[in-house]
Parts: sequence; structure tokens; C-alpha cells
Amino acid sequence: MFTKCFMSSMLNNSRYLLRSRIYSTKNAITPNEGVLLSETCVKRLKELCTDKIFLRLCVESGGCSGFQYKFHLDDQLSNEDKIFEREGVKLVIDETSLDYIKGSTIDYHTELIRSAFRVVQNPNADIGCSCGASFSIKID
Amino acid sequence: AVKKRVLPSRAALVLTQSAVQKVREIMAKEDAKGFIGLKVGVRQRGCNGLSYTLDYAKEKGKLDEEVKQDGVTIIIDRKAQLTLLGTEMDFVEDKLSSEFVFNNPNIKGTCGCGESFSI
Repeated sequence: MFTKCFMSSMLNNSRYLLRSRIYSTKNAITPNEGVLLSETCVKRLKELCTDKIFLRLCVESGGCSGFQYKFHLDDQLSNEDKIFEREGVKLVIDETSLDYIKGSTIDYHTELIRSAFRVVQNPNADIGCSCGASFSIKID
Repeated sequence: AVKKRVLPSRAALVLTQSAVQKVREIMAKEDAKGFIGLKVGVRQRGCNGLSYTLDYAKEKGKLDEEVKQDGVTIIIDRKAQLTLLGTEMDFVEDKLSSEFVFNNPNIKGTCGCGESFSI
């Protein structure tokens, strides 16, 4: 009984440690409510970002499936923005957009034909366009 | 005697300078050792029917078309030849993304993102 308890608390601890390492955000958002930045994404952002400049991701209506992801570099923060920081680089998403991409991972994908930022494993997206730029929302 | 008319052969695919440079860059990398060039193809995918593919090419297939320009070799897959005829291959790079863009005169429509197209 004791060992079981001990083990589970160990497990919880390590899980917590892992999370806090991957996930250091300003407003302490839990992983299911925020987004994750992949290794490649962080690496690429380190090349692009400075102290002031960050990557902004927003969700717009448009594209063949209803919504589409838009990435751009920005230096203006507003009140509605949530900041996701990892290893010194920042990704900023406004609150409205965040509702649509909670729980997804932001990746920088490189292949022969193209390399670009993309949103992967979006739990809120139903079907997307093959390019990955456009998606539709799951309706429960 | 009737002289055989020789038509000037037009390249099936034209590369822009930036595309040539990028292909050269790719071929100079370690990953590209043992390959003769890049192979362009199309496959069925995307909301508009077709999309382009790009891979390393080990050899020129029997019916594949070979395009040589400024020292780089592009192989056009035999299934893609009709779709690609007269296409300009460009390489566009900005801070957030970099990609090969195909300016294809044969296409009728594209998807919003430009990745998939129909002919």
C-alpha cells in the first residue's frame, strides 16, 4: 500500500517536472488549455526572434475547410494575448484563437518541397485540408 | 526529298534562378549523396485533386523526362509529364516558410493554400 502510494506520487512528481520543463508559461496554463512548442519549432524561432519580436499565431475564417491558421512575426502585445514561452522564445496567441487550438502542438516542418510552421494534433479540428493550413471545428 | 522538320525542343520544366540555387544547395548536402537530382511528381491528394511531390532521384526511369538546367538535374515523373508541361518551378523564401512554387499554365483551379490543384 505504502509503496503503491509512493510510486504514484513519484509518478505524479516526474510528470509534473516534465510538464513544467516543456511548459513554462507566463500565466501558468495547463497543457490541455495551451499549446506545445516542438523542438524544431523552438530551434527555428531562436533564429527568427529577438527580445521584442515574437511569433503570433491566429485563427481566421477562410480556407477550404472553414478556418485557417495564420503565422506572422509581431512586436505588439495586446491585453487578450496569451504568451507561450520555451527556452526564451515566445509564441503569442490571442484568447479567441486559442479556443480553437487548445491542446495542439506547433511544429516547424521541413521537407524537400517546403518548410514551414504548422499546427499539428489539434484536438479541436475535425477534418483539415491536406496542406494543413485550413481546418474545420469538431461539433459535439 | 522531304527534309525532316526539326522542332526546337522546349524544356518541359523551367527553373527560376532561385530554384536552381536551392536545388544546388539541396544536392550539395550530405543527404543527397548518391542521388542524381530531384524528381518532381504529382499525386492525388488535397481538396482540389492533385498536389506536387518532390523527392530525391536515384536514376532516370525509362519514361521519365530529364531536365538539365545550369548544372542541376530535375527528373519529371512519367505520370506527371502532361500535367507539368510548360511549368515554371520557383523557390520562394520568407522568414516563416520556404517552398517550391510551381507556376503551371495547365491548371484550372487551386486550393486556397495553393498546395492542391486541378487540371
